[in-house]
Amino acid sequence: MLKRDQGVVLPTSVRVPGFRVELEGTVFRLEATGSWTVHEAANLDSALKRLQVPIPPTPDFTGEVDVSSIAELDTAGAWLLQRTADRWRTKGLATTFSGATRDFAILIEEVERRSEQERPQTKSEGGFSRFLVDASRTMSGVWQDARMLTAFLGAVTDTFGRIIMQPSRFRMLSFIHHVDHAGLRAVAIISLICLLIGAVVMQQAAVQLQAFGAEIFSVNMLGILALREVGVLLTAIMVAGRSASAFTAEIGSMKMREEIDAMRTLGIDPMETLVAPRILALIVALPLLTFIGDMMCLVGGGMMAIAYLGLDIATYVDVLHSVVDFRHFMAGMVKAPFAALIIGLVGCLEGLKVEGSADSLGFHVTSAVVKAIFLVIVFDAIFAMFLSAIGI
Amino acid sequence: MGKDLVQTAEKIISVRGLAKRFGSKQIWNDLNLDVQRGEILAVVGGSGQGKSVLLRVITGLVEPDAGSIQIFGRDVSKLSPEETVDMESRWGVLFQDGALFSSLTVLQNIQVPMREHLDLPQVIMDELAFLKLAMVGLRPEAAHNYPSELSGGMRKRAGLARALSLDPEIVFLDEPTAGLDPIGASEFDNLIRKLQQTLGLTVYMVTHDLDSIFTVCDRVAVLADQTVVRTGAPEELRKNPDHPWIRDYFCGERARAATA
Repeated sequence: MLKRDQGVVLPTSVRVPGFRVELEGTVFRLEATGSWTVHEAANLDSALKRLQVPIPPTPDFTGEVDVSSIAELDTAGAWLLQRTADRWRTKGLATTFSGATRDFAILIEEVERRSEQERPQTKSEGGFSRFLVDASRTMSGVWQDARMLTAFLGAVTDTFGRIIMQPSRFRMLSFIHHVDHAGLRAVAIISLICLLIGAVVMQQAAVQLQAFGAEIFSVNMLGILALREVGVLLTAIMVAGRSASAFTAEIGSMKMREEIDAMRTLGIDPMETLVAPRILALIVALPLLTFIGDMMCLVGGGMMAIAYLGLDIATYVDVLHSVVDFRHFMAGMVKAPFAALIIGLVGCLEGLKVEGSADSLGFHVTSAVVKAIFLVIVFDAIFAMFLSAIGI
Repeated sequence: MGKDLVQTAEKIISVRGLAKRFGSKQIWNDLNLDVQRGEILAVVGGSGQGKSVLLRVITGLVEPDAGSIQIFGRDVSKLSPEETVDMESRWGVLFQDGALFSSLTVLQNIQVPMREHLDLPQVIMDELAFLKLAMVGLRPEAAHNYPSELSGGMRKRAGLARALSLDPEIVFLDEPTAGLDPIGASEFDNLIRKLQQTLGLTVYMVTHDLDSIFTVCDRVAVLADQTVVRTGAPEELRKNPDHPWIRDYFCGERARAATA
């Protein structure tokens, strides 16, 4: 803000903004007074709007904006004066500024020059067309995702092929690190969750079946449900939440800092060093975790059976033994490596899609978890239909 | 705001006896610094001397351990919350990468301070924001872009437009030319000088850039040995360095290139 007298504190009466318009001979004079700053802009604007633009009766009438009584002026004030002068000019009143100090003149001139620029029109689309654009963008995004994931599966398969041909290229250390992180360190949380869900399923089944006096069948139900679906699904969802996000964050932050580009220029293949060990580690770890999850589900169910149905351990095991078949166990286990592949692929691919910014990293981590869980559930459903169709 | 005014003008910022320590590292001890109204002051110093921290302390983002800071003649630690808000609308800060809000467009970013502190009609805010945009040298087309769609130099300009949103009296610039190419940097220097003259600004800038110092700055304050060791016009410091760090900085290869 520019002050007329540098460093002089203004008496409050002068701070009140305002202006007077008067006709002197053939000159319409707008005398601006007080403080013309952004703080007063709203008041000044509404007062100026109420001001009638003088219509010159003959062409030799002129306008003058007198700023000599202004105490404080800033960009907003200068713009308001400028706008008023412009309005007068469009009515055929040649309007000039008078009484400006050097500082005021510089500011007014700058504002005049800058406000001549054209404004771009804001793009406003109707609600429906925006909906259509969004929908088409989402759908083409789904298609793009499917294509990229398929291409990535191809690239990963190719890398595995090369590793099999040349086992020395396999990064054993990295593989073990990821088995530890994605597998061993997930044991506790997966055990706990499966134990609890096993117990809950058992309890709910028992309550419902008690009405028919068929509560013993809740053991059948739990045994089959746990081994075929619940164990593997819970484990896969937990691993998708833990490891898909971790993979995306690790690879993504390397991508952000151009480490991946650096690897490429050094002749190191990121597919071999980063992607293959992670996916292989998951393929090994997830079936093992699934086995633990299955067992914990049965343990949780057993605890509930003992507490709720009054069975003893031997009876519970006997009943389980008579209903649960190896094929039920296998129907669950066979899904685990596929779920692992999906989670690994999605996690690594999202990581590689990260661009330069932290925003992008956050976005891809979220999208990795969502996509991994979604795909795991879709594949589980397809498997369930397929297995029951072939009678397993 | 000619240089002739600087000598007689009031102290707009006055820092006395400032001390700050981070863990076991004493950043400054008894640091004093004055900024005169209407000047462009550059704060320089080796890395780890707390240049950016000093900016943060003055703008109230970091608490000092000891010492007082007066801005516009008022002790900032003794203000009521309302007075602090009022004070804050009288200065603007440009952070290193612009620090624009990523969920808002450039135009909305510039309007944030107006929305927070004033009650202006939308039409006026739009007009003023476009005006500010033009004043910092951005094309009006950039108004509806999001910060992520802008280049580094454009983000800085947009950040400056936001800092100037309420026509502040002081602007703080944190390494305004860092990360810009030499042409962009010298354009930014000229922009700062131009705006300082048009709007009557006082500019406090943290910088490393010798070109900026010699082209736009009125005075330089050198941070070393936990305090401000010297202040003076850039030429004066170059001709009469009498401190090893100042000698290395102002009389090195790069300084010669900048003053050539």
